[in-house]
Amino acid sequence: MVDDLTKLFGGKVRAVDRLSFTVEPGSVTGFLGPNGAGKTTTLRALLGLVHPTSGTATIGGVPYRQIAAPLTVVGAALESSAFHPARTARNHLRILCTVAGLPVARADAVLAHVGLTDSAKRKVKTYSLGMRQRLSLAAALLGDPHVLVLDEPANGLDPEGIRWLRGMLRSLAADGRTVLVSSHQLNEVEEIADRVVILNRGQLVTSGSIADLTAGTDRVMVRSPDIAALLAAVRPPATAEQDGPEALVVRGATAAEVGHWAFTAGVELHELRGERVDLEELFFSLTQGGAA
Amino acid sequence: MIRLVRAELLKLRTTQVWFWLLLASLAVAVLAAVAGMASDDVRVPSDLATVFANANGGIAVSFILGILGITTEFRHQTFTPTVLATPNRWAIVSAKLLTYALVGAAYAVIGIVVQLAITVPWLASKDIALQLGGDVGHSMAGVVLVFTLFAVMGVGIGSLLRNQSLAISVGLIFLLVINNILAAIPGTRPAFPYTPEGAMIAVVYPAGQGGGDDIELLSRAGGIVTLLLWALVPAAIGAALTLNRDIT
Repeated sequence: MVDDLTKLFGGKVRAVDRLSFTVEPGSVTGFLGPNGAGKTTTLRALLGLVHPTSGTATIGGVPYRQIAAPLTVVGAALESSAFHPARTARNHLRILCTVAGLPVARADAVLAHVGLTDSAKRKVKTYSLGMRQRLSLAAALLGDPHVLVLDEPANGLDPEGIRWLRGMLRSLAADGRTVLVSSHQLNEVEEIADRVVILNRGQLVTSGSIADLTAGTDRVMVRSPDIAALLAAVRPPATAEQDGPEALVVRGATAAEVGHWAFTAGVELHELRGERVDLEELFFSLTQGGAA
Repeated sequence: MIRLVRAELLKLRTTQVWFWLLLASLAVAVLAAVAGMASDDVRVPSDLATVFANANGGIAVSFILGILGITTEFRHQTFTPTVLATPNRWAIVSAKLLTYALVGAAYAVIGIVVQLAITVPWLASKDIALQLGGDVGHSMAGVVLVFTLFAVMGVGIGSLLRNQSLAISVGLIFLLVINNILAAIPGTRPAFPYTPEGAMIAVVYPAGQGGGDDIELLSRAGGIVTLLLWALVPAAIGAALTLNRDIT
């Protein structure tokens, strides 16, 4: 939970500006915003790495630095994959086990979980970016925590890696864990997150469930060589707006209704498609006013 | 705390730096032993003190070990996962200082063992008995102490400067160049006994030896106190800064 968090860097740069939001337990929450929106700073404040200029960031009501055995409560994978290049993946995790007082067997368990068992004894410098992301995730899972904080885990992953990550996050959420996952690729998160917190320029743009945020944005794209006749066929309360020489966007009606109107008016159709606003569009529509 | 020291030792063991630096400090120790024994300077048992004291060249290695021990964490950002696993940064920094003090001492002890392996048979052939008491014992204990304190100093300087190459170059230039320039210039010579180098010489060499002409070094106890300050003050400042610094 983040409450009225502000972080100024060097007294000037307002990285996070009076940000407040709550992450629901047992859900996957996407923490979204363009690069430089303040996502990483917020997550680092949540993890006790950065001291807020004002406000608080707590996990289950407790600041991170006051949690007695933090790895067993919160697992974090931060964007800057922090590994010594000459150390093996297994040794990296063994060290963290020792620091956190966890059995070394956990290192092997999480390596197996992320599919790195075969490369466990290789030096991290021989790892691809995707393998490093997996290792970060393994480190986050080390203490079998209920809360996961993942900063841009999809960065540097190829399409196959992204698919793997989605499956992984889904299975972690299915275990009842709370996952907060940041991304600058808004649509990447849409498939896996239940809820989103959208950030821009350090300020909250919106938050809530994806279903709620995109509700009421249904529209129908329709293409026809006879736009004028099609426009005339649209019945209120539905509204239509021309989108190019042969296309129309209809709001307030289903694709079936639009199809029916066209059919009864005898208008030839080339395309008829129901659409819902995606997160990226939602983000742009919400930030257009404030960004100027 | 024991957990954190064990983790620090594991960090050290799982990369190769410790091995190469140990090799370097052993090279200095072996060189000191062989050069000392080959010369005609060792005639009576107490002359041996200088031979063992000459292993002090290894303090530069111990110092670099300390610097690397902390700056590597900043360089590769491995400090972040450590801090996440134990938010108590005070404990992390203390464990680091303690670990490098231990490792510095271990380097010195290994060096002394190797020196003994070289000198004991050689002494036997010269019909000189080895006596570990008196000045010889003091020099050995002194070498262990200065290795320990220079490693702590390295951690302190490293936590202050954070940038690895900067810390190593600034540290070594101060230690090897500036200290000796101070000793060479008559006007600044009185300051030399209070430099790490001057204090170190007072600790490892028998009284009246090791310094140049015209330089009145501190007593052994004074040298120890001076070195403790050099080691602990930067470490304390570095630790205090690390406790509240943002890790980005």
